[in-house]
Amino acid sequence: MSAVALASAHLKGPHVDFGGLAPLLALLGGAVVVLLAGLIGSRWVRAQVVPTLSLLALGSALGLTIWQWDARKSVVSGALRIDDLSLASNLVLIAGGACAVLLAWRSLAAREAAHGEWHALLLSSIGGMSLLACAQNTVAVFLGLELLSIPLYVLCATELRREHSLESGLKYLIVGSVGSATFLYGLAMIYGATGKTDFGAIAGALARASLASDPLTLTGIALCVAGLCFKASVAPFHQWTPDVYEGAPTPVTGFMAVATKVAALAVFVRLFDVAFIPAHHSWGPAVAALATITIVVGNVGALGQSSLKRMLAYSSVAQAGYMLAGIVVATRLGVQATVFYLAVYVAMNMAAFAVIVARERQTGWGDAIDAVAGLGRERPLLALSMTISMLALAGIPATAGFTGKFYLIDAAVSGGYTWLGVVIVIGSMISLGYYLPVLAAMWMRPAPAGAGRRGDPPGPGAEALPALAGGSPELEPEAQGAVEPPWQARGERVLGAQPEVALVAIAAALATIFFGIIPQPLFELVHGAGRALGLL
Amino acid sequence: MSATTFAWLALAMPLAGTLVLALGYRSLPGRSAGWIGTGTIVLAFVAALGALLELQDRAPAHRALTSSLWSYAVTAGIDARVSILVDPLSVFMLLVVSGVSALIHLYSVSYMDSDRGYARYFSYLNFFVFSMLLLVLAGNFLLLIVGWAFVGAASYLLISFWYRRSTATRAGIKAFVINVVGDVGLVLGTYFIFKHTHTLDLRGSFHAASAGAFVGGSGNGDLIAGCVLLLVGAFAKSAQIPLHTWLPDAMEGPTPVSALIHAATMVTAGVYLIARMHPLFERAPAAQDVGAVIGAATLLVAGTVGLAQVDIKRVIAYSTMSQIGYMIMGVSVGAYAAGLFHLMTHAFFKALLFMAAGSLIGAMAGEQSLQRMGGFRKALPFTYASFLIGGLALAGVPPFSGFFSKDEILLVTGERGGWHWALYVVGYLGALLTAVYTFRMVFRAFHGAPVAEARELERGHPHHAEVPRNPATGEPEDTDVGFPGPHHAIAERALPMRAAMALLAVGSIGAGALQIPHVDFVIDDFLRPSFGDSSLYATHGRDWLLVLGLSLGTALGLAGIAIAYRVWVMRPGSAARVRARARPLYELFVHAWYFDELIAALIARPAVAAGRFARDTFERRVVDDALIGGTTTLIRAGSAAVRAAQSGFVRYYAALLVLGVTGVGFYFLLQS
Repeated sequence: MSAVALASAHLKGPHVDFGGLAPLLALLGGAVVVLLAGLIGSRWVRAQVVPTLSLLALGSALGLTIWQWDARKSVVSGALRIDDLSLASNLVLIAGGACAVLLAWRSLAAREAAHGEWHALLLSSIGGMSLLACAQNTVAVFLGLELLSIPLYVLCATELRREHSLESGLKYLIVGSVGSATFLYGLAMIYGATGKTDFGAIAGALARASLASDPLTLTGIALCVAGLCFKASVAPFHQWTPDVYEGAPTPVTGFMAVATKVAALAVFVRLFDVAFIPAHHSWGPAVAALATITIVVGNVGALGQSSLKRMLAYSSVAQAGYMLAGIVVATRLGVQATVFYLAVYVAMNMAAFAVIVARERQTGWGDAIDAVAGLGRERPLLALSMTISMLALAGIPATAGFTGKFYLIDAAVSGGYTWLGVVIVIGSMISLGYYLPVLAAMWMRPAPAGAGRRGDPPGPGAEALPALAGGSPELEPEAQGAVEPPWQARGERVLGAQPEVALVAIAAALATIFFGIIPQPLFELVHGAGRALGLL
Repeated sequence: MSATTFAWLALAMPLAGTLVLALGYRSLPGRSAGWIGTGTIVLAFVAALGALLELQDRAPAHRALTSSLWSYAVTAGIDARVSILVDPLSVFMLLVVSGVSALIHLYSVSYMDSDRGYARYFSYLNFFVFSMLLLVLAGNFLLLIVGWAFVGAASYLLISFWYRRSTATRAGIKAFVINVVGDVGLVLGTYFIFKHTHTLDLRGSFHAASAGAFVGGSGNGDLIAGCVLLLVGAFAKSAQIPLHTWLPDAMEGPTPVSALIHAATMVTAGVYLIARMHPLFERAPAAQDVGAVIGAATLLVAGTVGLAQVDIKRVIAYSTMSQIGYMIMGVSVGAYAAGLFHLMTHAFFKALLFMAAGSLIGAMAGEQSLQRMGGFRKALPFTYASFLIGGLALAGVPPFSGFFSKDEILLVTGERGGWHWALYVVGYLGALLTAVYTFRMVFRAFHGAPVAEARELERGHPHHAEVPRNPATGEPEDTDVGFPGPHHAIAERALPMRAAMALLAVGSIGAGALQIPHVDFVIDDFLRPSFGDSSLYATHGRDWLLVLGLSLGTALGLAGIAIAYRVWVMRPGSAARVRARARPLYELFVHAWYFDELIAALIARPAVAAGRFARDTFERRVVDDALIGGTTTLIRAGSAAVRAAQSGFVRYYAALLVLGVTGVGFYFLLQS
């Protein structure tokens, strides 16, 4: 008895600053609430209240993030760092998460996985990302990484009756586990070499001793590079990306494409630009080489893809390569450019994925490029959003994509990696080769004959319908298409049958244009993030 | 509200109008598009008045305000802000542009009535006004370039407005290409200046220049090069030799467009540019001299060409070139207030002349040739009066406005002394030519025996062509789209047209009173704060020169009218006799000094030949085969390789992962 009392007197728990943790707690608490709400029997509660609740959780996390603004503190004994970088990442993640919730509102995936569970998984994944973005301790990093990944493995497989969805989840699980293991091994070696888990302490150890050129440290760094590159889908660790993106339900793909990248690059920034900064001369060129390979492979691979999701998967590989340029230089400008591009990247991609979701539900073409053919005539607003998104991804001026890319090239050039800037430009040139055909399909091609719209009598295109016609007891009748009112009805002309999807598309496109013309608010956001790390 | 707020409002109004008209064109009934377009410009003019009043409340030394809406890119070395500069010069331009634009919009409400592209027309026209206001308000080089390029684009859209006419589309392309030459000049000039001043901000640049940013003073090569390149921009926009050939062709656009863009506002942008950049130009006298000589040459050449043309709109277009030559010469010799004063009065009377010509062309059912016109004095009394007022102002007859503003330019030129006397003489020679060609138009179109159309109109039947024809080529028109419509408006029958013309006529008569030597100096005093740092501004001295100039101007104007009267009214055959006697000279004038042919021979044809040669040899072999073919083959192969690696089997993915990790690990171990 007295021993326990003695032990507890010595074992003082760390002081926990709940204010700093509040956004994270809101997300994880939201996950629990949503999970419980999903158990309520009423179909209406499950289909409508549960997504609303998860939006509420995201909203409160957003509010708490803004409440914590200007905080610069380490919480939980220095395991987590609340600063402008993590808060900015939080904002971007929450925006991406909210888009995903809206896109999934009527999706088959959320229905089949029972709404509560789907949204709880999504929220805990966002929680993991948020944790990862503020982690400054190798243990916390790994915790965040797994909290991010495991729900995603499941989310990928939530269209239970579709073979590709299951395949996607399984592939992601297997390859992802290899990646996680690699990363963990790397962290273990770093710990072995320095005896520290804290980022700052690791940097101190690397700077003091001649550890920066120690084989054990370097192997550790190499494995960390590989592990994080896997998460950020950097070539040659990108191969899971197209398969998983294509197979996963589109709202999940959209979420993975943006949010995972944000989290992975945020931790990349913090781990490499804080902990491994004394070894910058050895990892800098390696990461630059990986960035080059990524830009080439991503852009070249995206050419000629007929599936939009697959094309966007390769495009996201290429974009990850661009963003690595900001990390390679390890300067304040580089961090700013990366965070700026991440924010823009979320907007650009969400617009595209929202359009794909809308078309998937309306045509029988799934995510094939045929699904958007003739969109300019049918749904000009959606086509315009997609146009803006594609042009921004290619980096055309007056869109935020241009500003972001310009910022990255500026960072690369002033950081002494001019050739990497040239590679980015060449990559963007190639990228027009797959972004522009989408525009051509939307504006210059008529809708393909027999584009079996849901609700049309089965025509020649009916075979192209995804193999979900069997339905499930959970399925509401309209999901099978029979009862869905024709979307051409007058009131639906503007926003369509899925107003929330069109809303996401239009809002994201507007944000892309807005920040392309008035980038100042975003500049101010990322300036803080750049200062947070104490780089030059 | 502060002056800058008013200026932002003036800028926002036409933009809002453009967007409303462009997006809502389907649901705007009848003339509502025209009234919306006119309304926004009137509001912009009201906002400009507000800016004027606010500015005049401030002490003269504090009448230059900069306001930045947001920063576009402010990073190391670049300060690109969305900022405007509000000072007497920009407010002056703001007032002239929005005021004249409002009247021309009003005129267009009737003039374009039966056009198929009514809403399209007004959205373009509002876009033009927005661009022009952006140009004159720009507080930094970046926005200046944006506005500069936008007005070029708006001009292109409006010249080619009737896009089914091949002549109109060709003219639009020509105007656009030449304007882009000017844009390139402006951009390159900006580089030369930015290189030394390290700021894009206009006032910052001028401060840097006066603080000695350009080492070597007036001999600094970069400064001279920069200013000459700015002049290239100014020449292209203001149709000065040798970049002037687009302006006569631009008359293919609707007549109100000619009045607004190709007479009153856009073409004067070059004058504004030189006046705005005077702190730079005064440090580069060589560039100033280039501007003065080119201006003088243009005013003389265009005046002679105006004598020989028969298309009424082309005559007025050459007259515009000639008058802008005066302004360019004026602002290049330091007659800033006089040049801008002439800009204003010219905007009034030239817009009025174009409007009257539009009415006349309406009565002729689209025909523009002076040779088919005659005797419209009784049929179109209001148009005749307007044309006469505009003509008297253009010819520089006292007390009309053109008299005071033109003589003021020449007075300052004469005061500079030295070789500027040559410019002085050329200026007065041009004044004589101006009076002759102006009254040639008046007498040929309105006097003499009435033509059939005029007689019909006198009986109350406006003439409509049975088959609408392109006035330039006589080809029957495609009446489907991109076509003016079967009816042509006549001022006598349309109140909005009459109202606009009457207001401009008042301006043409009375605006000269703003600045009468020894009486008042409104323009001089108003603009003084903008030119406070100028050593050349408003130095009035020798009275004998003033008296000489004013009497010479009056005499030459009246003499020109007398010559025209003698040649085209008293002895109608004498023009043909003169033509026969001085055949080579006539040929030179009627072919506009062969500038089109010269440019074609010196630039266009060699460029086309070189292009053809390059296409047949270099492009086919090197570009198509080696570069494009090679690159696409390479990228296709890469694409195939990436896809081949994408087998879909997890075991291969894991294997590549292990390979990748090994590679990365190997690299790092090499570092130790």
